[in-house]
Amino acid sequence: MSNLSDSSLAILGQEVPLGRVDKALKELWGADAARTRASLMNIAVYSEDPDSLERNTQLLGEITREHSCRGLLILALPDQTPPQARAWITAHCQLYGGHKSVCSEQISFVLAGGKADQVRNIVFAHLDSDLPLVFCWQGDLTENFDERLYSVIDMLFVDSSTWCKPETDFDRLQFAISQNTARFRVYDLSWLRSHSLRTALATCFQSKLALEQLPLLRRMEITHASGHRVAALLMVAWVAVRLKCTLDICQKGLCLITAEGQRIEVLVTDNGAGDPLQGIFMHSDAANISVTRVSGSQYAKARVEIGDHLSEEMLPADLGSDGELIGSQLARLGGQSLYFQMVPMLRGML
Amino acid sequence: MPDLENPFQETLIQRHRAESCTVVIFGATGDLTHRKLIPALYNLAVDGDLPPQFKVVGFARRDKPDDVFRAELEESNKKNSRQGHDAALWSSFGQSIHYHQSEFQDVEGYKSLKTLLDSFDKERGAPANRLFYLASAPEFFDQIMLKLRESGLNEGAGDKFSRVVCEKPFGKDLKTAQHLNEVVSQTFHEKDTYRIDHYLGKETAQNIMVLRFANLMFEPLWNSRYIDHVEITCSENLGMEGGRGGYYDTAGALRDMVQNHLFQLLSLVAMEPPTGLSADAVRDEKVKVIRSLRRWRGAKEVAENVIRAQYTAGSVDGVDRVGYRQEDRVNPQSNTESYVALRLYVDTWRWQGVPFYIRMGKQLPKKATEISIHFKNPPQIPFATETMNGTSNSLVIRIQPDEGISMGMLSKTPGQSLLLQSVKMDFRYSSSFGKASPEAYERLLLDAMSGDATLFARRDEVENAWTFIDEIEHAWHNEGEQPPMCEYPAGSWGPKEADELLHADGRAWRRL
Repeated sequence: MSNLSDSSLAILGQEVPLGRVDKALKELWGADAARTRASLMNIAVYSEDPDSLERNTQLLGEITREHSCRGLLILALPDQTPPQARAWITAHCQLYGGHKSVCSEQISFVLAGGKADQVRNIVFAHLDSDLPLVFCWQGDLTENFDERLYSVIDMLFVDSSTWCKPETDFDRLQFAISQNTARFRVYDLSWLRSHSLRTALATCFQSKLALEQLPLLRRMEITHASGHRVAALLMVAWVAVRLKCTLDICQKGLCLITAEGQRIEVLVTDNGAGDPLQGIFMHSDAANISVTRVSGSQYAKARVEIGDHLSEEMLPADLGSDGELIGSQLARLGGQSLYFQMVPMLRGML
Repeated sequence: MPDLENPFQETLIQRHRAESCTVVIFGATGDLTHRKLIPALYNLAVDGDLPPQFKVVGFARRDKPDDVFRAELEESNKKNSRQGHDAALWSSFGQSIHYHQSEFQDVEGYKSLKTLLDSFDKERGAPANRLFYLASAPEFFDQIMLKLRESGLNEGAGDKFSRVVCEKPFGKDLKTAQHLNEVVSQTFHEKDTYRIDHYLGKETAQNIMVLRFANLMFEPLWNSRYIDHVEITCSENLGMEGGRGGYYDTAGALRDMVQNHLFQLLSLVAMEPPTGLSADAVRDEKVKVIRSLRRWRGAKEVAENVIRAQYTAGSVDGVDRVGYRQEDRVNPQSNTESYVALRLYVDTWRWQGVPFYIRMGKQLPKKATEISIHFKNPPQIPFATETMNGTSNSLVIRIQPDEGISMGMLSKTPGQSLLLQSVKMDFRYSSSFGKASPEAYERLLLDAMSGDATLFARRDEVENAWTFIDEIEHAWHNEGEQPPMCEYPAGSWGPKEADELLHADGRAWRRL
């Protein structure tokens, strides 16, 4: 705990003894009649990164703008000694209609020596009863991601782009989801980051003219920012699954092979800085179809050029921050079957 | 890929996505287009919900080029768009807007419109769906329908649809509604006719069915055994501002609000569970409610169950208001009601003996539309009633402006003595869901483009509602002993006769 500076802890609000969290919260709400506490779910953000406190407090603040919740911010430092647990409370308030302040409470925990049983107990003891549990697990799925914990999770957010050992993490995730007690749905931020790009690409193929070009595709390129290669590979896997292609990895690089035997060369390009996913380009002999982020804008340009035919449309681009991504997914819900169809193909490309 | 299905259009979105479409708005220079329709379409573009290669054509009489029309719409969009105005997005969205000048009765104008729409299809490389939105004054509906038919625009291009959206008022009585329905049905199939009622596009109105049929705790109690009465209130704190008196004085509260909006809410509250969520399954159940409304025989029974009134001079929000008959464009001898209160009975097994009180009025203290369900008292209360401060259970569904649901119940007050106090559990959309609800027109336009008619009125719904309303209007205006026109001061909660309507049953209007 000595590594954590006072300024990084100050953002967590008022420190309270671990056994007095509920009482302190009651006092917090009782003291201010102008504020309304609202909660539709529990959202836990878990990290083992000592520098995550400020970032994750902002993340919860961002999510609570549209999703009232009880926020649990957990920093576990499993290797730190001596074991010690500290707690803080604070609130994220939004003003509605210029006068009414609606607030979500945040309880933060720093768990030095925090092993699985301690993390689990902290979560279990501080859930707002009867409300679903949304768990944002940051970084690799460590030993602390254990069965007793994930059996109470309803929605699990991970970010496979940040995994140091993606093969191991995907194995852990698939093992967890196969357990009888697991009832959570998985949302990978790396996959969610391409939602609008995929929607825009689908829009490009709404016309018969464009659809006729699909069996004739010869080349596909996906451009991404550094650190988001997994998001780009998930896009490749998605195209492959949707077009019922198999994957071929040869010396020249990646190739998708359609059921009819057509080869589609795939290029995944790291453009350095910029938006996580920056563009998808598909080419046949007669067509150039692309979706690209418009620089500095919240929109993407969908462009279809087939012979003399040219159409361009502006469509919403993918959301920039993790908070917006999680917030939009909470509003949208939806399933995960497609994601798990793509994981085996992604594994082949890692 | 023999069936040419878009393989990428999978589970990305939960609602049905509309295919390429051109929307033609008749009466494109009017207030509705500027304040509601274009901002709704723009906000659909912000959310990425517009169909691909979307076009909108404004059809109106005044002559103006596309760029002038676009500039006017851009200005009004800046003021009216729910999600603000983004210049970059507008530059793309604005290019999809076109203007077509023609008189409504000039068939040549429709033929040139057809040429324009065909040129869009050519640009797209394939035919697109067509949606004709009648936002013009109702007296032009006949002409527009006739010319659409004559020019062949009522038939979709290729396998694409051609649909019509009709704005209210859909007729001013049964006869005119039937006439309009006949004209529309000669031009469009009923499945392609969308009669808009923007109340049904409101989030809370859509939530009524969810509340009733997705929560087991309410539906078992939703009947005459447990419910004492139901109130539906629509109060407006405005009068005849903006020259509205001209139209309003020919309609009145009963025709303007009750026949459509409030009867739709009544239907949602009183309907039986539908067999499915198809448009017709839902509307079949709604229309049964209207058919089951108990009819009154003659002016005397109407007078006993319906109160009509006009406001006199008063004050609203600290501002002095003139009386209804002194309003701009209102006949000084007007016999049109600005307020109406009704006691209705839905004669079905479920609702036998349960009164539904409906009231609607102008120049009332505040703007609110709410439905309240009032439950009966328990058969025996083992507490002294003098220790109770409050009433029995109630469930309030707030349609606007503060959308939400609240439940009233009795609770013991803290302390040594046994005192009961009425308390309220409150759910507010704005607190629970930070994201603002889409405007009703956004939802309804998208539904019309993607072919979901659930939130639109069907012909039999409209005609059955008019049948009921006509009987009241007949008693008011055509019978020998006409029920009186009552009065209420602007800024009050209506005439005392409306209070007496409930007092006679041992009840009182809920305090809003």
